[in-house]
Amino acid sequence: MSEIVIQAENISKKFQLGTIGTDSLRRELQQWWERSILKKPDPFLTQLPDQEDHIWALQDINFEIKQGETWGIVGRNGAGKSTFLKILSRIIKPTTGTIRGKGRISSLLEVGTGFHPELTGRENIFISGHMLGMNKREILQKFDEIVDFAGIGVFLDTPVKRYSSGMYVRLAFAVAAHLEPDILIVDEVLAVGDAEFQKKCLGSMKDATSKAGRTVIFVSHNLQAVNNLCSNAIWLEKGMIKTTGDARSVVNSYLGGAQKKSWKQEFSRENAPGNEYIKILSVELIPHLQDSLSAIDIRTAITVKFKFYNTSNNTNLSTDLLLFTLSGECIFDIPSKPTVYNEGVIEGECTIPGNFLNDGSYYFSLYFVKDTSQELLSYDECLFFEVADYRENVNWYDKWWGYVRPQFPLTLVHSTEIESYNA
Amino acid sequence: MPAMKEYTTLLTKIFDNMPERPHWDWEIKTETSWFGVSIKELYSYKDLLLRLTRKEFLGSYQQTLLGPFWVLLQPLLTTLIYVLVFNTVIGISTGDTPPMLFNLIGITLWNLFSEVFLNTSKTFILNVEVFSKIYFPRMIVALSGLWLQIILFGVQLLFLFSIYLFFLFKGQTNFNISHLWMIIPAIITTAGIGFGAGLIFSILTAKYRDLLALIQLLIRLLMFVCPIFYTMSMVPQKVKWLVNLNPLSVQFELFRYAFLGQGNISAVEIIYSSVFMIALIFFGILLFNKMSDKLMDVI
Repeated sequence: MSEIVIQAENISKKFQLGTIGTDSLRRELQQWWERSILKKPDPFLTQLPDQEDHIWALQDINFEIKQGETWGIVGRNGAGKSTFLKILSRIIKPTTGTIRGKGRISSLLEVGTGFHPELTGRENIFISGHMLGMNKREILQKFDEIVDFAGIGVFLDTPVKRYSSGMYVRLAFAVAAHLEPDILIVDEVLAVGDAEFQKKCLGSMKDATSKAGRTVIFVSHNLQAVNNLCSNAIWLEKGMIKTTGDARSVVNSYLGGAQKKSWKQEFSRENAPGNEYIKILSVELIPHLQDSLSAIDIRTAITVKFKFYNTSNNTNLSTDLLLFTLSGECIFDIPSKPTVYNEGVIEGECTIPGNFLNDGSYYFSLYFVKDTSQELLSYDECLFFEVADYRENVNWYDKWWGYVRPQFPLTLVHSTEIESYNA
Repeated sequence: MPAMKEYTTLLTKIFDNMPERPHWDWEIKTETSWFGVSIKELYSYKDLLLRLTRKEFLGSYQQTLLGPFWVLLQPLLTTLIYVLVFNTVIGISTGDTPPMLFNLIGITLWNLFSEVFLNTSKTFILNVEVFSKIYFPRMIVALSGLWLQIILFGVQLLFLFSIYLFFLFKGQTNFNISHLWMIIPAIITTAGIGFGAGLIFSILTAKYRDLLALIQLLIRLLMFVCPIFYTMSMVPQKVKWLVNLNPLSVQFELFRYAFLGQGNISAVEIIYSSVFMIALIFFGILLFNKMSDKLMDVI
């Protein structure tokens, strides 16, 4: 069993809300007076809970990390991931609790921190390196490797403000990638740079843990990367640890839990969304999963069911089911066969097979048409879902290209022509 | 020996019951100590300190016409204006010392104080981005700023010496080597007061931005209660207490005395000034260490 390198006990962080001005000065003086001079308990820790002048960004965080483990931290925006990393990086102090650790710790919360735009790449390698905790000897030793990794070549003695944004990021990450801390903390840095460079970064992080036995703590929205790089994961929600454990199962339950509630919407006749022609009664997304706790991945088939009320008799009606990516590109538009309906409740259903969509975030929209030309209602963005990646024996951690990922057979066979070529 | 056996069993018992106490290299707690980081940790960042000094120096002269010559041009132009305003127009007498030299001496030391004070007090405001993304002892930034100002002051001091030598050869001033060492305590105390006050204000300005405007005002007003373009002997008895209250005053007299051999300095004034400086630096460092982590929540 490897030894524990980080141990956190009872970590909480409170942030004061409101602006800072004469009010906060008065409050501070009062606080100081009561605590230090009158030796009373802090008046702002005992005040009534309904006075909402602060929030708890983190509450009661406890964990232990062993040497050589890679931990991923997942959670929605505002779940406390950044606060968590900032406390670990010693940038801010926790309100309660203690973290103890062993070994040198370096954190990479942003690429290019401390870069001076007016100075050359060479100067900035030193500035950034020193800030991250390297000394001069270490930087000189790694200097060529850093320049090589960044691929900046002839631009080494040009001010970094004239770099392309890609070069800038590459240089910044290159410095950080050559750090040799015992514990490395990384926040979202992989969201920048082109696909090729991202692959390089992920590769270097994987090396860090597998070869050098380094401990890595990693926050990312790229769940694929968390899945592939991390051995363990923490799911933070509203400042508290929701689940912790094996990375794959944490990521899956995160994906599952994060969306489930929006997968079924039902409305009563009175407050049903819609207009004088069509009223939406329910929409539902049903993934075909064996285990209700696991997440939708690229293999999962999805059924969409919907129910609406048609208000007029003798309408030639058809419905389109549209699928969009989160960024708004339409993947498909499936129309129903136009049929004449009378007033009443109409149900619809469509199943998208597994092994069709690529991983990513998507949403469905419904579109109701009369006489195949006149729009009755467009019910937009009604069901959101996320498709997780699934790969077997593939050493490629990047986003798989394309919106769809069908498994049409592609076969390779030995051709007999080659032999005649050689002959 | 049954006693011996008992003793060993007792020992094993104690050791067995003792909780395992792993050794930790570091610990993050809720409060920072008043003394902040250890000297050893500060020393491990010496490369960063020198690099930041270099960065500030290089950074401030990129894409400029005259570059580092501004270091000399600034005191030179200020001196010329002072001579014109205070000596030619208003008619303040500088005795048998050339007005040019008289003013340059005062201005050189004043620049040291005002630059150290102003730069140190901007430590947080100018480095919020870096401080909120990466950890290193924040004191390093303040120290690197101090070091840069001392280097720039060194250049200005050399300039002062060359002007001094010029007037010496022209026979317009006299030279007494036995006084010259006095510039050292004058420089240390002046820079120290600027640094200590700067540390305190760096904390205050980070939280209350309008205090930066106050500092500019403070520096401008303080300049008039420092004997820069006048000597202590010219100050009317009625307001002398005001100038004496200023711990910087005696340092200007001392600095001038080292060059010109003129001025009245009392031991009480020197002790007052030195104690003031030590107390200010001490308090400044404590406040800086204690408050800098708390500040990160709000800036």
